[in-house]
Amino acid sequence: MTALQVSHVSKSFPGVRALHDVSMTMTAGSVHALLGENGAGKSTLIKIVTGICKPDSGTVSMNGATVRFANPRQAAAGGLGVVHQERNLVTRFSVGENILLDRLGNRALSLVDYTSLHREAEKWLKLLDLDVDPRTIVSRLSVAQMQLVEIGKALSLQSRVLLLDEPTASLTPNESKVLFRVLRRLRDDGVAIGFVSHKLEEVFDICDRVTVLRDGRNACDSAGLSQLDRNDVVQMMIGRAERITTRAPRPGTDAAPYLELRGYGSGAGHRDINLTVRPGEIVGLYGLVGAGRSELARAILGLSKQVAGEVRVLGRAVHISSVAQALHHHGIGYVSEDRKAEGLILMHSVLANGGITIWRKLANALGLLRDTTIAARVGPVLTRLEVKTPSVHQITGNLSGGNQQKVSVAKWLAAGVRLLIIDEPSVGIDIKTKAYLHDLIHELAEQGTAILLITSDMPEMIDVADRILVMDGYRIKGEVGNDRSYDPVSRAIMGLIHDRAAA
Amino acid sequence: MAATRDSALTRAFDNDWIGPGLVSLIAVVAISLAQPAFLSSFNIFVLMSAISVNMVIALGQLVIIGLGQMNLALGSIGGLVAISFAGVIERYGVPVPLALAFALGIGIAAGMSGGYIIARTMISAFIITLAGLQIFKGINLGITEAQPFYGVPEAVKAFGQASVIGPLPWLMVPMMVCSVAMWYLFNRMRIGRHILAMGSNPQAAELSGIDPKATIIWAHGISGLLAAIAGLMLVARLQIGQPTIGDDWLISSFAAPVIGGAVLTGGRVSVAGTFFGVVIIAIITQGLVMFNIDPFVVQIVLGALILWAVAVNRLREVRIARVQARGAGA
Repeated sequence: MTALQVSHVSKSFPGVRALHDVSMTMTAGSVHALLGENGAGKSTLIKIVTGICKPDSGTVSMNGATVRFANPRQAAAGGLGVVHQERNLVTRFSVGENILLDRLGNRALSLVDYTSLHREAEKWLKLLDLDVDPRTIVSRLSVAQMQLVEIGKALSLQSRVLLLDEPTASLTPNESKVLFRVLRRLRDDGVAIGFVSHKLEEVFDICDRVTVLRDGRNACDSAGLSQLDRNDVVQMMIGRAERITTRAPRPGTDAAPYLELRGYGSGAGHRDINLTVRPGEIVGLYGLVGAGRSELARAILGLSKQVAGEVRVLGRAVHISSVAQALHHHGIGYVSEDRKAEGLILMHSVLANGGITIWRKLANALGLLRDTTIAARVGPVLTRLEVKTPSVHQITGNLSGGNQQKVSVAKWLAAGVRLLIIDEPSVGIDIKTKAYLHDLIHELAEQGTAILLITSDMPEMIDVADRILVMDGYRIKGEVGNDRSYDPVSRAIMGLIHDRAAA
Repeated sequence: MAATRDSALTRAFDNDWIGPGLVSLIAVVAISLAQPAFLSSFNIFVLMSAISVNMVIALGQLVIIGLGQMNLALGSIGGLVAISFAGVIERYGVPVPLALAFALGIGIAAGMSGGYIIARTMISAFIITLAGLQIFKGINLGITEAQPFYGVPEAVKAFGQASVIGPLPWLMVPMMVCSVAMWYLFNRMRIGRHILAMGSNPQAAELSGIDPKATIIWAHGISGLLAAIAGLMLVARLQIGQPTIGDDWLISSFAAPVIGGAVLTGGRVSVAGTFFGVVIIAIITQGLVMFNIDPFVVQIVLGALILWAVAVNRLREVRIARVQARGAGA
């Protein structure tokens, strides 16, 4: 029986076509994998199904009737439960109250009956094999337990369709097993389950159908998984033909390290980090969500305290305590993963964003800045990066995602940084811009910039990095040399990560 | 990984009202040892009257703090209610119960209208209530022409001056009713839990099916009601409908909840803590006056106290965040 059907849905955002004629059919009593690389359109599809955004064309129907949810609340009321990737719990409240948060009473001034509330919540916890007192405050739970509480919350709404967005991203293999046992039982009870994951082993373990998205289109629509093997799925996800790298491995460099961490530990929780980046070298930092990669970048910039080991820049031991110091004294720049929130001031002009890192240097004797002074320094960089903007006075928010990303790189280049930490450069930008960014990163390295690249996009990593450090649980698990051959390198990387299962 | 081993000491540290409670106790003991007149029944009566009114004011702010917003219009709503109450009695001879209902209605309506605009436009409450502050104050001055209404009935005056037993004023009664009601609201009522859920994690609250607009309007309506009650209590205490009522509420309405452990970003409030916050402010103000210390020193001490309270709260938040980060393995 068809529980949820997505038919020919398209959706564009300014500058990016996120979904193009995408379809998916989920049936009751089945676990349906939704796969695709970062930026393939999975999140957009989930947002459309749950009413967070509206499709430009196409329809969504549940049990045969077309639905148009205006917001996630309506979707929940319509029997569609979603467990989002971010934790969506009120951590100061009890487990039971979180599960039944929208059913605390009939009227605003109704008294909450905590005894029966916790009794009711207990039912859902039992169903999930979660041995937790419903009176426990959520902040005291482990991540896996929180994840199960969220599933309990979705189920308690009598959801017959349950979407899970990367539920295992921060779970240990054992915790995942518990989750899968629960999912199988729900499936047997006739719930239609949608499962987004990057881990193919899991997908083959628990799912029976699969929809793959690539660049916003169906690479396959609700195919049976039993007829496919791992290779077929990977092929569909990355579209091997168009993604085979043309870049030859770059010769190694024996220049003196620009940045060197030895036995480094940070206040954020990093331990025993050893890492060197040489001028002209692109070092990749791979890991799953929550492995501590962005946190390491921020720690290097002085946003977390250094608690152990040493940091050397050009062989000299240094202590970096602020981003300003990292930039002005040590020539280290950071292109943030979240360019909207951290990298760019979208309301300001391209010129203001490009020049923000060098205001300090360019101010004249009176401390005054002149647009022409800034333009003289920023202009050439913008030209070099081919930022497409009608004028440098254009509001940055009006540029396309790719051009915004270029501006956020430009501001560091204008500052003449010697080490650039680039965090998830291609999230939310289209494939052509992505290829262009990769060329750009290589070009920067050729000119002698040391680059530390953070990405969860495996093909991107293999396409761009010279060597790859694998991170998990705030430690470096090992290093993989990159000869651009996808299968052996990715297998070596995953091997280092899954090492954790044995530990 | 969940942290379950907490010493009794850290648990007490987590309890919002114990710190301010101890400070209140120490302050009372210290001041009364140095100045026995502090415990005279006249002084206690004055102190308790001030505490009663200030507690209701603080509760009016507390409900908005719980939501993670601010209500700058609190005082001007209280003032408008106060002069409306005294005004309809003096000018139109409206009976007291009817005037009470009318005045409370104005408070609720003023609060809700602000809440409605905030919920509808999602513009920051700071700006909307700042505009409200101006508008309500303007209406107040337009009606009164800055002159008080003197025709307050004897029964109301008596309420503001009489004591229940010994040195305890009648004004304590509405304060206690409001405090208990607000404790129930925050801990046992659906709307209170929804306000705190919105204050803690607005996204989670909305995705859980809480109606954010209704919750915001309710919270501001309750805030307006409490401002109205405090305004009426002041009419009884001052014996006149003063147009300046509410002008000086703002600082202590934030200071008391913050000293009592409330977090200004929302989701964490304590009624008992707020009470001790009010008590501490009252004792310091009163105590320093008794020692003939310059009033400007009182202001500086109050400012320092707010800084201290914010620092303690911040320290606690950081500690909690660290525990949670460990729990989240990140």
